[in-house]
Amino acid sequence: MDWTALTLSLWLAFWTVAILLPVSVLAGRGLAYTNFRGKGLVEAAVMLPLVLPPTVLGYYLLVGFGANSHLGGLWQGIFGHPLAFSFEGLVLASVLFNLPFAIQPAQRGFEAIPVALREAAACCGLSPWRALWKVDLPLAWPGLLTAMVLTFAHTLGEFGIVLMVGGSIPNETKTIAIAIYDRVQAFDTDAAGVMAATLVAISFVTIAATYWLSARLGKRLT
Amino acid sequence: MLNRRLVLTLAFVGAFALPRLAAAEDVPVIAAASDLQFALTEIAAAFQADTGQRVDLTLGSTGTIATQIRQGAPFQMFLAADEAFIATLHAEGLTRDEGVLYAEGRLVIMVPHGSALQADAALSGLAAQLDAGTLGKFAIANPDHAPYGQRAEEALRHAGLWDRVQPHLVLGENVSQAAQFALSGNADGGIIAWSLALAPEVAAQGDFALIPNDWHNSLMQRMVLLPTAGPVAEAFYDFMQSPEAREVMVKYGFVLPEGP
Amino acid sequence: MTLSVALRSHGPIPLDLSFRVAPGELLALVGPSGAGKTTALRAIAGLMTPNVGRVTAGDAIWLDTSASVNLPPHRRHLGVVFQSYALFPHLTALGNVLTAMPIPDQMEAQRLLDLVNLQGLANRRPADLSGGQQQRVALARALARRPKALLLDEPFSAVDRATRDGLQAEIIALRAHLNMPVVLVTHDLNEAQMLADRMLVIDGGRMIREGTTAEVMADAAALRTLGVREVAALLPAVIVAHEDDGLTRLDTATGPIFLPRIDARIGTRLRVRIMAHEVILSRDRPVGLSAQNILPATVRAVVPGDGPAVTLRLALGPDDILARITRRAAADLALVPGDTVHVILKTMSVARDHIARQTDPA
Repeated sequence: MDWTALTLSLWLAFWTVAILLPVSVLAGRGLAYTNFRGKGLVEAAVMLPLVLPPTVLGYYLLVGFGANSHLGGLWQGIFGHPLAFSFEGLVLASVLFNLPFAIQPAQRGFEAIPVALREAAACCGLSPWRALWKVDLPLAWPGLLTAMVLTFAHTLGEFGIVLMVGGSIPNETKTIAIAIYDRVQAFDTDAAGVMAATLVAISFVTIAATYWLSARLGKRLT
Repeated sequence: MLNRRLVLTLAFVGAFALPRLAAAEDVPVIAAASDLQFALTEIAAAFQADTGQRVDLTLGSTGTIATQIRQGAPFQMFLAADEAFIATLHAEGLTRDEGVLYAEGRLVIMVPHGSALQADAALSGLAAQLDAGTLGKFAIANPDHAPYGQRAEEALRHAGLWDRVQPHLVLGENVSQAAQFALSGNADGGIIAWSLALAPEVAAQGDFALIPNDWHNSLMQRMVLLPTAGPVAEAFYDFMQSPEAREVMVKYGFVLPEGP
Repeated sequence: MTLSVALRSHGPIPLDLSFRVAPGELLALVGPSGAGKTTALRAIAGLMTPNVGRVTAGDAIWLDTSASVNLPPHRRHLGVVFQSYALFPHLTALGNVLTAMPIPDQMEAQRLLDLVNLQGLANRRPADLSGGQQQRVALARALARRPKALLLDEPFSAVDRATRDGLQAEIIALRAHLNMPVVLVTHDLNEAQMLADRMLVIDGGRMIREGTTAEVMADAAALRTLGVREVAALLPAVIVAHEDDGLTRLDTATGPIFLPRIDARIGTRLRVRIMAHEVILSRDRPVGLSAQNILPATVRAVVPGDGPAVTLRLALGPDDILARITRRAAADLALVPGDTVHVILKTMSVARDHIARQTDPA
């Protein structure tokens, strides 16, 4: 059981969710409430990582922030080590790769709020910011919760992207999914089996707990 | 009220983040070709037992590792299965020096127990299956970036079997994965590294035969220190050339270059 | 703090309106579906921007397209009651009212809920309230901001008849507290006539007629839009006695009338909506007639219509009512302005929701 890899995976999932939560609120709400030219394009762009194979995204990410890129060079200059093959690089890749999981359900959550309610909030004197806290979030939170749970679970299971951008460096980019792959290649099926089962258990418990919580909260609100 | 909760949450989270950030001791990452899976693990354990210092291993196909090094991967040492890759990196100024030969690799044909395919050095079993039209899947490492895959292709060409066996091939991303495919029961067999076949957990799963090394270009395996190498990596580099390490390499079928 | 509105818009629903509403005054916007009533209201609220417009409430300029001023709804100091109530489902009634207050004041919120007769229901969620109760919460919420103008968009169309009557009575009772201009959009003429001081008839986004309810009701152009069956007048009356046989006796300016039992104290001042097409006229005081309500009146005007009918304006003392009879009948009776006639009303033809309290001036 590779505890380092497991911890690393949990951290990666945590940071991905932490960064994407405000993104999903703002982008989900923006897409739900406004119509603008090119909105379809934006929505398609957000969904892109869902249909692209991880290798394609991995390739572009390496090109985009590998050692030979502007961003990579900048990062190296500031921090002294490359962005690729680092935990921060994984977080960046993970954030991009999870955009559809984070934004789409959030957008649906906000869209489910009747227009009349939003208009009523404005006519009650609530600025868009105050309306977000007092009306939108209390009503759209199921969509946000779905988004964050999906993002968390998806990140835990990420493999292709991590393999391409990460390099399987212990305590840096060797997530538990990579560790399982590694153990299989080492013909150590016992260790692989234990880790795989652990991953399934954690994902299942997380999702179940989240939905149980949301059902309880939901009963309080409706 | 909301603000206080926010601050507490952030502090809580920050406290958790610290251990991870602090874990950055100097444990060098050594990148190695997949055929060293068992041999290098044993050697690294011996290194730790002898010197009390630790190294982390990351294994993959030689070509993939070379690409990662070009992308700035923070490896401190590289053990390749084909010295050509080291030469290229050296020419690009990405290595400390030209490195040193540490072994010659050998190919085996391996079949899992119960396979219809027979393993023999002349590959006649494979030819027989092809003639009868009863061959299922056959695994090798990917010739595009894995040296063992390239050599497997050469050997098969030499035996005049390449064109016929091609439609049956499954390609492993590296030679370890090829071994997985070969022995998983979904393929009839494959051509993998001798060093993998000699590992007890692998040997137990099937039969193998050594392929003559004049059927393919030799697998001159070279290792080199990379520019970021620190004292621990350097110590390991030296340890690799010590008698203790050499003994382990022989156990796993690695022919050693005549050394000092 | 007068509400002053001028709107012009090309489409999809065209608008071309301009009107003013004084503080404490209730203006009803009436007209057929799609006439632009709700669109006009949304433009006042800032939920929609017309091509050209100017909306001011006292000194506050909410919209002035010529000066590029267009305040979003939350910056316009108004209160809106929506047709669908639009209560926040995750908050209690009290919570809904508090949300509209810049500085939450529990006592004030409670007071507002009491004002709309929701005592004891403050902690209920909207899902646990009836339609009528929800609408009252919506009203309290709209008032919580102490708005400079109150807008009501078909507020009672989603509730049943009985509840609607109750709510209308509440609005009438509340008038004393509504010291801001109020704009009511409704397609229910009865509601408009009973609640409003002034009416504005819209069709195709344009103003057909504007004036007091009496003026509008007597106007031919307005009636062509609204439909002649809606012609009516409000007759002031005072309850004098409750009789034993289930009738209530009221005094009007020119005599007593009987109506089905009204649930109010003796001395209550009411307005009774008399539908013009239910008025019978007679030169002489009739005898042997079943109708109990016979009042002397003077003919003020005889207005011919498009079809076979004429509309007469009649004065009962200081009060006016309208009657629609056939042209033939008018000719037979040779009615001209100045003539004395008797107005005959069937007790049973006065509907329950055609009776309302008088609105005291604010």
